[in-house]
Amino acid sequence: MSIRKWYLIHKWTSLVCTAFLLMLCITGLPLIFHEEIEHLSGVVEAPVMAENTPNASMDAVAEAARKQRPQDVIRFMFWQQDEHPNVTLVSMAKSMDASPDDSNIVLVDTRTAKVLDEPPPERGFMYVMLKLHIDMFAGLPGMLFLGVMGLLFSVAIISGIVLYHPFMRRLDFGALRREKQARLKWLDIHNLLGVATLVWALVVGITGTINTLSQVVIAVWQGDQMADMIAPYKGLPPPTRLGSLQDSIETAKKTVPDMHVSFVAFPGSMFSSPHHYTVFMKGNTPLTSRLLRPALIDAQTATLTDSREMPWYVKTLLLSQPLHFGDYGGLPLKLLWALLDLVTIVVLVSGLYLWIKRRQHTGQRITDLEHKHAAMAKGALR
Amino acid sequence: MNKRFIDIWGWPIMLALLTTLGLLAALLGTGVWHWLSWASMAFPLLVIGYYWRKSHIKK
Repeated sequence: MSIRKWYLIHKWTSLVCTAFLLMLCITGLPLIFHEEIEHLSGVVEAPVMAENTPNASMDAVAEAARKQRPQDVIRFMFWQQDEHPNVTLVSMAKSMDASPDDSNIVLVDTRTAKVLDEPPPERGFMYVMLKLHIDMFAGLPGMLFLGVMGLLFSVAIISGIVLYHPFMRRLDFGALRREKQARLKWLDIHNLLGVATLVWALVVGITGTINTLSQVVIAVWQGDQMADMIAPYKGLPPPTRLGSLQDSIETAKKTVPDMHVSFVAFPGSMFSSPHHYTVFMKGNTPLTSRLLRPALIDAQTATLTDSREMPWYVKTLLLSQPLHFGDYGGLPLKLLWALLDLVTIVVLVSGLYLWIKRRQHTGQRITDLEHKHAAMAKGALR
Repeated sequence: MNKRFIDIWGWPIMLALLTTLGLLAALLGTGVWHWLSWASMAFPLLVIGYYWRKSHIKK
Protein backbone atom coordinates (compact mmCIF):
# COMPACT_ATOMS: atom_id res chain seq x y z
CA MET A 1 0.00 0.00 0.00
CA SER A 2 1.24 3.50 -0.75
CA ILE A 3 2.29 5.93 1.96
CA ARG A 4 -0.54 8.21 0.88
CA LYS A 5 -3.11 5.49 1.57
CA TRP A 6 -1.62 4.79 5.00
CA TYR A 7 -1.67 8.51 5.68
CA LEU A 8 -5.35 8.70 4.77
CA ILE A 9 -6.10 5.71 7.04
CA HIS A 10 -4.18 7.35 9.87
CA LYS A 11 -5.92 10.67 9.34
CA TRP A 12 -9.48 9.39 9.15
CA THR A 13 -9.36 6.75 11.89
CA SER A 14 -7.75 9.32 14.20
CA LEU A 15 -10.18 12.09 13.32
CA VAL A 16 -13.20 9.91 14.07
CA CYS A 17 -11.94 8.56 17.40
CA THR A 18 -9.85 11.44 18.84
CA ALA A 19 -12.65 13.27 20.65
CA PHE A 20 -13.88 10.05 22.29
CA LEU A 21 -10.36 8.86 23.07
CA LEU A 22 -9.64 12.17 24.78
CA MET A 23 -12.79 11.70 26.87
CA LEU A 24 -11.72 8.13 27.70
CA CYS A 25 -8.20 9.21 28.68
CA ILE A 26 -9.49 11.99 30.93
CA THR A 27 -12.23 9.96 32.64
CA GLY A 28 -9.90 6.95 32.87
CA LEU A 29 -7.29 8.90 34.83
CA PRO A 30 -9.20 9.02 38.17
CA LEU A 31 -10.56 5.52 37.56
CA ILE A 32 -7.01 4.09 37.68
CA PHE A 33 -6.96 5.11 41.35
CA HIS A 34 -10.56 4.24 42.22
CA GLU A 35 -9.54 1.91 45.06
CA GLU A 36 -7.34 4.56 46.67
CA ILE A 37 -9.99 7.26 46.21
CA GLU A 38 -12.68 5.04 47.72
CA HIS A 39 -10.46 4.40 50.73
CA LEU A 40 -9.87 8.13 51.21
CA SER A 41 -13.59 8.74 51.34
CA GLY A 42 -13.78 6.25 54.18
CA VAL A 43 -15.01 2.67 54.00
CA VAL A 44 -16.19 0.89 57.11
CA GLU A 45 -13.73 -1.80 58.17
CA ALA A 46 -14.38 -4.93 60.17
CA PRO A 47 -13.27 -4.49 63.81
CA VAL A 48 -10.02 -6.07 64.94
CA MET A 49 -10.55 -9.47 66.54
CA ALA A 50 -8.29 -12.35 67.51
CA GLU A 51 -6.32 -13.66 64.52
CA ASN A 52 -8.00 -17.06 64.30
CA THR A 53 -11.59 -16.03 64.93
CA PRO A 54 -13.65 -18.51 62.89
CA ASN A 55 -16.06 -17.31 60.23
CA ALA A 56 -19.78 -17.38 60.77
CA SER A 57 -21.97 -19.57 58.60
CA MET A 58 -22.63 -17.81 55.30
CA ASP A 59 -26.30 -18.63 55.81
CA ALA A 60 -26.22 -16.35 58.88
CA VAL A 61 -24.43 -13.66 56.87
CA ALA A 62 -27.09 -13.87 54.13
CA GLU A 63 -29.82 -13.75 56.76
CA ALA A 64 -28.35 -10.62 58.32
CA ALA A 65 -28.29 -8.90 54.93
CA ARG A 66 -31.90 -9.93 54.22
CA LYS A 67 -32.98 -8.50 57.59
CA GLN A 68 -31.19 -5.27 56.72
CA ARG A 69 -33.03 -4.93 53.40
CA PRO A 70 -36.18 -7.07 53.71
CA GLN A 71 -37.63 -5.69 50.47
CA ASP A 72 -34.64 -6.89 48.42
CA VAL A 73 -33.20 -10.16 47.14
CA ILE A 74 -29.53 -11.16 47.26
CA ARG A 75 -27.96 -11.46 43.83
CA PHE A 76 -24.28 -11.82 44.65
CA MET A 77 -21.94 -12.22 47.56
CA PHE A 78 -18.25 -11.46 47.19
CA TRP A 79 -15.05 -11.12 49.16
CA GLN A 80 -12.03 -8.85 48.69
CA GLN A 81 -9.72 -10.11 51.40
CA ASP A 82 -6.88 -7.67 50.58
CA GLU A 83 -9.03 -4.58 50.36
CA HIS A 84 -11.74 -5.39 52.88
CA PRO A 85 -10.46 -8.08 55.24
CA ASN A 86 -13.13 -10.13 57.04
CA VAL A 87 -15.96 -8.40 55.20
CA THR A 88 -18.60 -10.12 53.11
CA LEU A 89 -20.04 -7.78 50.48
CA VAL A 90 -23.64 -8.63 49.72
CA SER A 91 -25.09 -7.18 46.54
CA MET A 92 -28.88 -6.79 46.75
CA ALA A 93 -31.59 -5.44 44.47
CA LYS A 94 -35.38 -5.16 44.17
CA SER A 95 -35.46 -8.19 41.88
CA MET A 96 -33.06 -10.65 40.27
CA ASP A 97 -33.31 -8.92 36.87
CA ALA A 98 -33.04 -5.31 38.09
CA SER A 99 -30.42 -3.15 36.37
CA PRO A 100 -26.90 -3.45 37.83
CA ASP A 101 -27.15 0.29 38.52
CA ASP A 102 -29.93 -0.35 41.02
CA SER A 103 -27.83 -2.57 43.28
CA ASN A 104 -27.25 -1.90 46.95
CA ILE A 105 -24.27 -3.25 48.81
CA VAL A 106 -24.56 -4.43 52.41
CA LEU A 107 -21.29 -5.00 54.26
CA VAL A 108 -21.42 -7.84 56.78
CA ASP A 109 -18.70 -8.95 59.19
CA THR A 110 -17.73 -12.43 57.97
CA ARG A 111 -16.96 -13.64 61.52
CA THR A 112 -19.91 -12.29 63.50
CA ALA A 113 -22.56 -12.00 60.73
CA LYS A 114 -23.26 -8.46 62.01
CA VAL A 115 -24.13 -5.78 59.45
CA LEU A 116 -21.31 -3.21 59.35
CA ASP A 117 -22.62 -0.70 56.86
CA GLU A 118 -25.04 -0.09 54.05
CA PRO A 119 -23.44 2.67 51.99
CA PRO A 120 -25.80 4.51 49.63
CA PRO A 121 -25.03 3.86 45.96
CA GLU A 122 -22.23 6.15 44.75
CA ARG A 123 -23.68 8.88 42.55
CA GLY A 124 -20.87 11.41 42.80
CA PHE A 125 -17.80 12.29 40.75
CA MET A 126 -16.40 8.77 40.43
CA TYR A 127 -19.77 7.41 39.30
CA VAL A 128 -19.99 10.00 36.54
CA MET A 129 -16.41 9.24 35.44
CA LEU A 130 -17.15 5.51 35.40
CA LYS A 131 -20.39 5.83 33.44
CA LEU A 132 -18.86 8.21 30.89
CA HIS A 133 -15.92 5.86 30.48
CA ILE A 134 -18.01 2.69 30.12
CA ASP A 135 -21.01 3.74 28.04
CA MET A 136 -21.50 7.55 28.19
CA PHE A 137 -24.83 6.90 30.00
CA ALA A 138 -26.10 5.24 26.81
CA GLY A 139 -26.27 1.59 27.90
CA LEU A 140 -25.16 -1.25 25.65
CA PRO A 141 -25.22 0.80 22.41
CA GLY A 142 -22.95 3.39 24.04
CA MET A 143 -20.63 0.66 25.23
CA LEU A 144 -20.37 -0.99 21.82
CA PHE A 145 -19.87 2.42 20.19
CA LEU A 146 -16.88 3.08 22.44
CA GLY A 147 -15.64 -0.40 21.50
CA VAL A 148 -15.64 0.65 17.84
CA MET A 149 -13.76 3.82 18.82
CA GLY A 150 -11.16 1.64 20.55
CA LEU A 151 -10.84 -0.41 17.37
CA LEU A 152 -10.34 2.74 15.26
CA PHE A 153 -7.71 3.88 17.79
CA SER A 154 -5.85 0.59 17.26
CA VAL A 155 -5.98 1.04 13.47
CA ALA A 156 -4.71 4.61 13.93
CA ILE A 157 -1.77 3.31 15.97
CA ILE A 158 -0.88 0.62 13.42
CA SER A 159 -1.07 3.06 10.49
CA GLY A 160 0.98 5.48 12.60
CA ILE A 161 3.70 2.81 12.98
CA VAL A 162 3.82 2.40 9.18
CA LEU A 163 4.11 6.18 8.70
CA TYR A 164 6.87 6.49 11.30
CA HIS A 165 9.38 5.01 8.85
CA PRO A 166 9.20 7.59 6.02
CA PHE A 167 8.99 10.45 8.54
CA MET A 168 12.14 9.32 10.35
CA ARG A 169 14.24 8.54 7.27
CA ARG A 170 16.41 11.60 7.80
CA LEU A 171 16.05 12.08 11.53
CA ASP A 172 17.73 10.56 14.56
CA PHE A 173 15.54 8.79 17.10
CA GLY A 174 14.18 11.30 19.60
CA ALA A 175 15.14 14.39 17.59
CA LEU A 176 12.81 17.26 18.49
CA ARG A 177 13.28 20.17 16.09
CA ARG A 178 12.42 22.99 18.46
CA GLU A 179 14.24 25.74 16.61
CA LYS A 180 12.21 25.18 13.40
CA GLN A 181 8.48 25.84 12.86
CA ALA A 182 6.04 24.92 15.62
CA ARG A 183 4.46 22.37 13.28
CA LEU A 184 7.73 20.42 12.94
CA LYS A 185 8.30 20.50 16.69
CA TRP A 186 4.88 19.04 17.39
CA LEU A 187 5.28 16.50 14.61
CA ASP A 188 8.48 15.29 16.28
CA ILE A 189 6.82 15.20 19.71
CA HIS A 190 3.86 13.28 18.25
CA ASN A 191 6.21 10.75 16.63
CA LEU A 192 8.48 10.24 19.65
CA LEU A 193 5.72 9.95 22.25
CA GLY A 194 3.59 7.81 19.97
CA VAL A 195 6.30 5.34 19.04
CA ALA A 196 7.65 5.04 22.59
CA THR A 197 4.26 4.14 24.09
CA LEU A 198 2.67 2.24 21.22
CA VAL A 199 2.56 -1.19 22.85
CA TRP A 200 0.86 0.15 25.96
CA ALA A 201 -1.63 2.18 23.91
CA LEU A 202 -2.41 -0.80 21.69
CA VAL A 203 -2.86 -3.17 24.64
CA VAL A 204 -5.09 -0.76 26.58
CA GLY A 205 -7.03 0.06 23.40
CA ILE A 206 -7.65 -3.53 22.36
CA THR A 207 -8.42 -4.80 25.88
CA GLY A 208 -10.79 -1.84 26.26
CA THR A 209 -12.62 -2.93 23.13
CA ILE A 210 -12.76 -6.52 24.42
CA ASN A 211 -14.22 -5.22 27.71
CA THR A 212 -17.02 -3.46 25.81
CA LEU A 213 -18.06 -6.93 24.63
CA SER A 214 -18.47 -8.23 28.20
CA GLN A 215 -22.26 -8.46 28.05
CA VAL A 216 -22.08 -10.23 24.70
CA VAL A 217 -19.42 -12.64 25.99
CA ILE A 218 -21.48 -13.45 29.10
CA ALA A 219 -24.60 -14.03 26.98
CA VAL A 220 -22.65 -16.42 24.73
CA TRP A 221 -21.28 -18.26 27.78
CA GLN A 222 -24.78 -18.60 29.25
CA GLY A 223 -26.09 -20.04 25.99
CA ASP A 224 -23.08 -22.31 25.57
CA GLN A 225 -21.27 -23.76 28.59
CA MET A 226 -23.80 -22.70 31.21
CA ALA A 227 -26.75 -24.10 29.23
CA ASP A 228 -24.82 -27.34 28.79
CA MET A 229 -24.13 -27.68 32.53
CA ILE A 230 -27.72 -27.02 33.61
CA ALA A 231 -29.32 -29.08 30.83
CA PRO A 232 -30.55 -31.77 33.29
CA TYR A 233 -32.67 -29.09 35.04
CA LYS A 234 -34.38 -27.94 31.86
CA GLY A 235 -38.14 -27.53 32.31
CA LEU A 236 -38.08 -28.08 36.08
CA PRO A 237 -39.89 -25.47 38.17
CA PRO A 238 -37.53 -23.25 40.19
CA PRO A 239 -37.09 -24.43 43.78
CA THR A 240 -39.29 -22.79 46.39
CA ARG A 241 -37.03 -23.56 49.34
CA LEU A 242 -33.26 -23.22 49.14
CA GLY A 243 -30.77 -25.42 50.94
CA SER A 244 -27.73 -24.25 52.88
CA LEU A 245 -25.43 -21.69 51.27
CA GLN A 246 -22.62 -22.67 53.61
CA ASP A 247 -22.87 -26.34 52.58
CA SER A 248 -22.93 -25.28 48.92
CA ILE A 249 -19.72 -23.29 49.41
CA GLU A 250 -18.11 -26.25 51.19
CA THR A 251 -19.02 -28.50 48.26
CA ALA A 252 -17.42 -26.04 45.84
CA LYS A 253 -14.25 -25.87 47.95
CA LYS A 254 -14.01 -29.66 47.99
CA THR A 255 -14.55 -29.79 44.22
CA VAL A 256 -11.80 -27.27 43.46
CA PRO A 257 -9.45 -27.64 46.45
CA ASP A 258 -6.51 -25.62 45.08
CA MET A 259 -8.57 -22.43 44.63
CA HIS A 260 -10.57 -20.19 46.95
CA VAL A 261 -13.99 -18.58 46.75
CA SER A 262 -14.19 -15.26 44.91
CA PHE A 263 -17.92 -14.74 44.63
CA VAL A 264 -21.23 -16.54 44.75
CA ALA A 265 -24.05 -15.92 42.28
CA PHE A 266 -27.42 -16.68 43.85
CA PRO A 267 -30.13 -18.79 42.14
CA GLY A 268 -31.85 -16.83 39.37
CA SER A 269 -29.15 -14.15 39.10
CA MET A 270 -27.19 -13.27 36.00
CA PHE A 271 -24.29 -15.68 36.49
CA SER A 272 -26.33 -18.61 37.73
CA SER A 273 -29.41 -20.71 36.99
CA PRO A 274 -32.69 -20.70 38.95
CA HIS A 275 -31.58 -24.01 40.48
CA HIS A 276 -28.00 -23.28 41.50
CA TYR A 277 -25.62 -21.36 43.62
CA THR A 278 -22.74 -20.71 41.25
CA VAL A 279 -19.57 -20.45 43.28
CA PHE A 280 -16.76 -18.77 41.36
CA MET A 281 -13.32 -19.93 42.45
CA LYS A 282 -10.05 -18.10 41.88
CA GLY A 283 -6.38 -19.08 42.07
CA ASN A 284 -3.56 -17.56 44.09
CA THR A 285 -1.22 -16.00 41.52
CA PRO A 286 -1.91 -12.64 39.82
CA LEU A 287 -2.77 -14.60 36.66
CA THR A 288 -4.91 -17.40 38.11
CA SER A 289 -6.72 -15.03 40.48
CA ARG A 290 -8.25 -13.50 37.34
CA LEU A 291 -9.20 -16.78 35.71
CA LEU A 292 -12.38 -17.64 37.60
CA ARG A 293 -13.70 -21.19 37.60
CA PRO A 294 -17.42 -21.71 38.24
CA ALA A 295 -18.81 -24.57 40.33
CA LEU A 296 -22.54 -25.09 39.95
CA ILE A 297 -24.03 -26.33 43.21
CA ASP A 298 -27.63 -27.55 43.38
CA ALA A 299 -29.25 -24.95 45.63
CA GLN A 300 -31.65 -27.45 47.23
CA THR A 301 -29.29 -30.33 48.00
CA ALA A 302 -25.94 -28.47 48.14
CA THR A 303 -24.42 -31.15 45.90
CA LEU A 304 -22.21 -30.57 42.88
CA THR A 305 -23.86 -30.38 39.47
CA ASP A 306 -20.80 -29.45 37.41
CA SER A 307 -17.58 -27.44 37.40
CA ARG A 308 -15.68 -26.60 34.24
CA GLU A 309 -12.86 -24.41 33.16
CA MET A 310 -14.09 -21.24 31.44
CA PRO A 311 -14.03 -21.33 27.64
CA TRP A 312 -11.33 -19.33 25.80
CA TYR A 313 -13.55 -16.32 25.10
CA VAL A 314 -14.42 -15.81 28.77
CA LYS A 315 -10.74 -16.25 29.70
CA THR A 316 -9.84 -13.60 27.11
CA LEU A 317 -12.35 -11.22 28.69
CA LEU A 318 -11.14 -11.97 32.22
CA LEU A 319 -7.50 -11.33 31.26
CA SER A 320 -8.43 -8.16 29.36
CA GLN A 321 -9.64 -6.59 32.57
CA PRO A 322 -6.33 -6.24 34.44
CA LEU A 323 -4.47 -5.32 31.24
CA HIS A 324 -6.94 -2.47 30.72
CA PHE A 325 -7.24 -1.31 34.34
CA GLY A 326 -3.55 -1.59 35.29
CA ASP A 327 -4.59 -2.82 38.72
CA TYR A 328 -2.36 -5.89 38.93
CA GLY A 329 1.02 -4.49 39.91
CA GLY A 330 0.55 -2.33 42.97
CA LEU A 331 0.55 1.46 43.21
CA PRO A 332 3.74 1.93 41.07
CA LEU A 333 2.04 0.25 38.10
CA LYS A 334 -0.99 2.50 38.57
CA LEU A 335 1.26 5.57 38.57
CA LEU A 336 2.91 4.34 35.37
CA TRP A 337 -0.55 3.78 33.91
CA ALA A 338 -1.45 7.39 34.74
CA LEU A 339 1.76 8.77 33.18
CA LEU A 340 1.26 6.70 30.01
CA ASP A 341 -2.32 7.95 29.92
CA LEU A 342 -1.05 11.56 30.04
CA VAL A 343 1.46 10.81 27.26
CA THR A 344 -1.42 9.45 25.16
CA ILE A 345 -3.34 12.68 25.73
CA VAL A 346 -0.34 14.64 24.37
CA VAL A 347 -0.19 12.31 21.33
CA LEU A 348 -3.91 12.83 20.67
CA VAL A 349 -3.80 16.61 21.07
CA SER A 350 -0.63 17.02 19.00
CA GLY A 351 -2.17 14.85 16.28
CA LEU A 352 -5.22 17.09 16.21
CA TYR A 353 -3.01 20.19 16.12
CA LEU A 354 -1.00 18.78 13.18
CA TRP A 355 -4.19 18.09 11.24
CA ILE A 356 -5.46 21.64 11.80
CA LYS A 357 -2.09 23.11 10.79
CA ARG A 358 -1.98 20.96 7.68
CA ARG A 359 -5.47 22.08 6.73
CA GLN A 360 -4.46 25.70 7.16
CA HIS A 361 -1.40 24.96 5.06
CA THR A 362 -3.52 23.37 2.31
CA GLY A 363 -6.00 26.24 2.57
CA GLN A 364 -3.17 28.74 2.20
CA ARG A 365 -1.83 26.94 -0.86
CA ILE A 366 -5.23 26.93 -2.53
CA THR A 367 -5.58 30.67 -1.86
CA ASP A 368 -2.13 31.24 -3.38
CA LEU A 369 -3.03 29.17 -6.42
CA GLU A 370 -6.26 31.09 -6.82
CA HIS A 371 -4.38 34.40 -6.73
CA LYS A 372 -1.91 33.10 -9.26
CA HIS A 373 -4.68 31.87 -11.47
CA ALA A 374 -6.51 35.19 -11.24
CA ALA A 375 -3.32 37.09 -12.02
CA MET A 376 -2.66 34.88 -15.02
CA ALA A 377 -6.19 35.33 -16.25
CA LYS A 378 -5.79 39.10 -15.93
CA GLY A 379 -2.50 38.94 -17.83
CA ALA A 380 -4.13 36.95 -20.59
CA LEU A 381 -6.86 39.54 -20.93
CA ARG A 382 -4.41 42.36 -21.46
CA MET B 1 21.21 10.63 4.00
CA ASN B 2 18.77 7.78 4.31
CA LYS B 3 18.95 5.63 7.39
CA ARG B 4 19.03 1.88 7.59
CA PHE B 5 16.10 -0.07 9.04
CA ILE B 6 17.86 -0.68 12.33
CA ASP B 7 18.71 3.02 12.74
CA ILE B 8 15.04 3.90 12.55
CA TRP B 9 13.56 0.91 14.36
CA GLY B 10 16.22 -0.09 16.90
CA TRP B 11 14.94 2.07 19.74
CA PRO B 12 11.22 1.64 19.03
CA ILE B 13 11.58 -2.15 18.94
CA MET B 14 13.50 -2.18 22.20
CA LEU B 15 10.94 0.03 23.94
CA ALA B 16 8.13 -2.15 22.58
CA LEU B 17 9.80 -5.30 23.92
CA LEU B 18 10.40 -3.70 27.32
CA THR B 19 6.76 -2.59 27.57
CA THR B 20 5.58 -6.09 26.64
CA LEU B 21 7.86 -7.59 29.27
CA GLY B 22 6.61 -5.09 31.85
CA LEU B 23 2.95 -5.78 31.09
CA LEU B 24 3.43 -9.54 31.40
CA ALA B 25 5.87 -9.65 34.34
CA ALA B 26 3.38 -8.24 36.87
CA LEU B 27 0.70 -10.61 35.57
CA LEU B 28 2.85 -13.72 35.89
CA GLY B 29 4.54 -13.15 39.23
CA THR B 30 4.87 -11.04 42.34
CA GLY B 31 7.80 -9.67 44.34
CA VAL B 32 10.82 -9.33 42.07
CA TRP B 33 8.56 -9.68 39.01
CA HIS B 34 6.71 -6.54 40.06
CA TRP B 35 9.98 -4.63 40.31
CA LEU B 36 10.97 -5.92 36.89
CA SER B 37 7.60 -4.78 35.56
CA TRP B 38 7.89 -1.27 37.04
CA ALA B 39 11.44 -0.80 35.75
CA SER B 40 10.73 -1.94 32.21
CA MET B 41 7.47 0.02 31.98
CA ALA B 42 9.18 3.16 33.30
CA PHE B 43 11.98 2.96 30.73
CA PRO B 44 10.04 4.32 27.71
CA LEU B 45 8.90 7.24 29.89
CA LEU B 46 12.49 7.95 30.93
CA VAL B 47 13.54 7.91 27.27
CA ILE B 48 10.84 10.45 26.45
CA GLY B 49 11.96 12.59 29.39
CA TYR B 50 15.59 12.38 28.28
CA TYR B 51 14.94 13.61 24.73
CA TRP B 52 12.52 16.25 25.95
CA ARG B 53 15.19 17.73 28.22
CA LYS B 54 17.91 17.33 25.63
CA SER B 55 15.97 19.39 23.09
CA HIS B 56 15.61 22.18 25.66
CA ILE B 57 19.27 22.25 26.60
CA LYS B 58 20.43 22.29 22.98
CA LYS B 59 18.70 25.65 22.59
